[in-house]
Order: sequence, then structure tokens, then C-alpha cells
Amino acid sequence: MSEVPIGSGPVHLSLHMGPKLTKPVPPEVTEALLSAQITSTAGERSGFQLAFDLTKKSRIVERLLPEGFFDPKTRVIVAITIKGTPTVILDGLIVRNEVGSSNQPGQSTLTVTGEDLTLLMDLEERTDRFPNLAPSQRVERILRNYADYGIESRIIREQVHQPPREQLRVDYQSSTDLQYVNDLARANGYNFYLDPGPRPGRSTAYWGPEQRLGQRQHALNVNMDVNSTVDQLTFAYDGTAREQPEARVQDPRTRDVTLLPNPDIGPLRPPLGLRASPALKRKPLSGTAKMDPERARAQALARAATSADAISGSGQLDVNRHGYVLRPRELVGVRGAGVTYDGDYYVKSVTHNLRVGSYQQNFTLSREGLIARSDTVRP
Amino acid sequence: MIEPYETALDDIPGAHPYPRTSRYHDAEIGVHRLPDGTEVRYAKRRLLPKLPDADNTAPHVVNAGERPDHLGQRFFGDPGQWWRIADANPVLDPRELTEEPGRVVEVPTPGGFDV
Repeated sequence: MSEVPIGSGPVHLSLHMGPKLTKPVPPEVTEALLSAQITSTAGERSGFQLAFDLTKKSRIVERLLPEGFFDPKTRVIVAITIKGTPTVILDGLIVRNEVGSSNQPGQSTLTVTGEDLTLLMDLEERTDRFPNLAPSQRVERILRNYADYGIESRIIREQVHQPPREQLRVDYQSSTDLQYVNDLARANGYNFYLDPGPRPGRSTAYWGPEQRLGQRQHALNVNMDVNSTVDQLTFAYDGTAREQPEARVQDPRTRDVTLLPNPDIGPLRPPLGLRASPALKRKPLSGTAKMDPERARAQALARAATSADAISGSGQLDVNRHGYVLRPRELVGVRGAGVTYDGDYYVKSVTHNLRVGSYQQNFTLSREGLIARSDTVRP
Repeated sequence: MIEPYETALDDIPGAHPYPRTSRYHDAEIGVHRLPDGTEVRYAKRRLLPKLPDADNTAPHVVNAGERPDHLGQRFFGDPGQWWRIADANPVLDPRELTEEPGRVVEVPTPGGFDV
């Protein structure tokens, strides 16, 4: 049993490219790949940057670049295989490429930058009217147009039910689909993002609350000698992050103004910390007087919920030592950071940094209070 | 399909009883109702994925004394992943893979998705 194994390590990257339908890239492209950086964030679009080595007479320079293999709007899918288990981490489109030619041998590079498939929704400004459709139904109607890129949609009905009334108001879209869907998500305290996978070429567009329930990912260990998987972890407690919105609605008939009661954000954001951070700021929401009471209530709830994350953490993880890929938009436990900052966190964003022989992940975590709620985390 | 808010968080990430590394991760979970009304959850029958093409596998000649978990550790870095090799060769009993030294086993290359 001394032969060389198929791969040189437990982490493998596979790259698929092509227009709309992708296929594995030719071996010259894989060999030229120097580094890959992929960022995915909850509630924002993902971005990527791939760097390739350029040599003067290589196939990339002679054939692939002039033939438009790296042209904008080419689809790129990156899948990572760790210990035999494949995960798709990116499904995106190229936006720009840069060729840096250098006099030093081996310093010429091709850098390809792009964004995930939600870019498709951001290309065309549109005007559309949505009579008698609730926000989630509008999102469903918009997302239906993007099914041919393998995008399935998962839409959760808004928490505060807002029955549409055509006689009173017809909602109107005057921006790109992505902006409109994001605005609708923000007005309800929801997130909209694209989750690639589970197979290459498929992805799920999620419009719903942050999923702060369920099984935690394998815990991040810091300050634990040989058992540490995280190089460093910084926590910050921002007292002014959380704000208490004040929403007033006006009854159009009597002109009476009423102050809406403070919303309970518990159902939208199950608490992760024991001692919730207080809201230091008070902020009246503008424009709520003209809205229906339900819509104003949804807006106040959304504002209270999205500003609640006063505690944020950021750090760097070595995947080879950790053994698992940290996935964004899920929960993870932290241990070794002391009583105040141990416990479960929501993974807000993850940046994958891949080069030959190393796989690092930069991540940011967030939650709304100090001190863990339970005395154990999933190892 | 728009999911109602109340049940939206039932289908939470990581809620599947089998981890990502398991061959049953994609299996559908069925519910069997006993005569007394209790519900028993079970993994439905798993159909084998399509066999990989020849260019998505690498041949390996079995040595004496090798076991499927050795192959898993060697090619995937995880002894628990032997089932990927068993799936690619279709064998019913994983021990069949390494029973005779000299047999050529097709090892699926990493990154291969059974689409």
C-alpha cells in the first residue's frame, strides 16, 4: 500500500464552467488555478474571485481567452470535496476579468471576478404592478422567471399577515427584481439569498427569516492548545447597534395617531444569549403613518429584529484542522472564549480562501446577548 | 409554493437524522403509524446512484489484507466513506470488494456528483 493516492489531500476543488449549462473545465485550467476566494453572506449576494497563472504559450492565452471561455456572464460552479463529501459552495456568473502581464516570469495572472446567480435578477430595471398580491406572492411571481438557471425557490409567508387591498393601494415595482425582492425582505425582517447546491447546477433562492434553530454545526474551538481549530477570534459588543423603533399609524378617517406597541422579536429571532443587550437608541420610523397598520407593524418588527444583533465575532478557521466546512446562515457553537462569549452564534458570513495546500475560512458570527444559554455545545 | 410561517422552521438545517457524510443523507424519511397511533420514523429505501463513467474513476488493484475501510481512508481520508467505493462497483456485500487480492476496484474520483 505505498502507491500515491488519487488526490494529494482530503480537500479537493472541482470547477465547472460554461454558458448556462456547465461542464468540468479542461485540465489546463485546473492546473493554472492559483487561488480562489468566495464570500457568502446572509442577506447579501455572494461574490468570488479566481486567480489563474498565465504563461505565454499556454492554452488559456492561445485558445480559451480569445474564444470567450472567461467572458462575462459565463457561469462558474465551484464544489469542494472534503473527506469524500462534496459540497457546492458557489454558483455564479463572471462579471469581469483582468489580465496582469508582468516582466517577471511566473507573475502574469488572470483574475476572474464575479457574483452569484442573483446577478441575473439585477440586470434589468423593470416596472410592474402587483394588484392584490401579498409580499410573499409577489416574490414567488418574480422568482418564477429564473427557473431555467436551476433556481428553485423557498418562500416563507411573512410573519405579520398583510392582506392586500386593491381598492386602497396597488404595489408597484420600479427597480430591478433583486432590489425589489430585497426591499420586500427588509420590510418584513427577512433575508433573501441564494443557496447553491446540493448538486452542481441547482440552487435554492430563500426568502424567509434567518434560520436560528436546529442542529448546530461542529463547534469552533479557540484558545484550547492542540484542540484549537480557530486561529483567532475577536468579539465586539456594540451598544448602539440595537435600536427600539417607534411606529405611529394614522387612521385616515378620524386622523387619530396611535403609537404601535413594542414588537416581540422572539418568534422571528429565537434568543441565543442569556442576557439580551438593551436597546439604547430610540428611533421613530418615518413614513409609517401612511401605511396600513399591519404593514407598519411588520416594519417595526423588522427594524427591531434586524438591529438586535449587538454582538459580533470574527475570526479565521483552518478547515484542514477543523475537518468540516463552516457553512454560512446556520448556527455554530463556540468554546474556549470565556463565559461571556461562549455559546451558540449565527454564522453571518463566510469567506473561503483556497490556495494550493491551504484552505482557510474567514467568518463573522452574530447574536443578540451575552452568556450561553446551555452549558454544552455540539463538539 | 409558499410555506406558512408557522411550519417554516420545522425544516431547519441539520435537522436530517443522518449527517452529510452518510449515504442516507439524501434518503427520504418516512413515517409509519403503529396501530396504537405512535409514529415511527424510518429511512426509505435508498436506490443506488448511477454508475460513474470510466473517466470519473481510478482503478485500484486490491492487495492482500486490505479492507474497504482501508480504501476509504486512503482515497478519501475518512474510513467511513468506503460506501462510495462500494456504490461505484456495485457490490452487495462490501467485503466482496477486497476479498480476492488482484481484483481491480474502481475508485470514484473526488468531486464526482452522482447526478
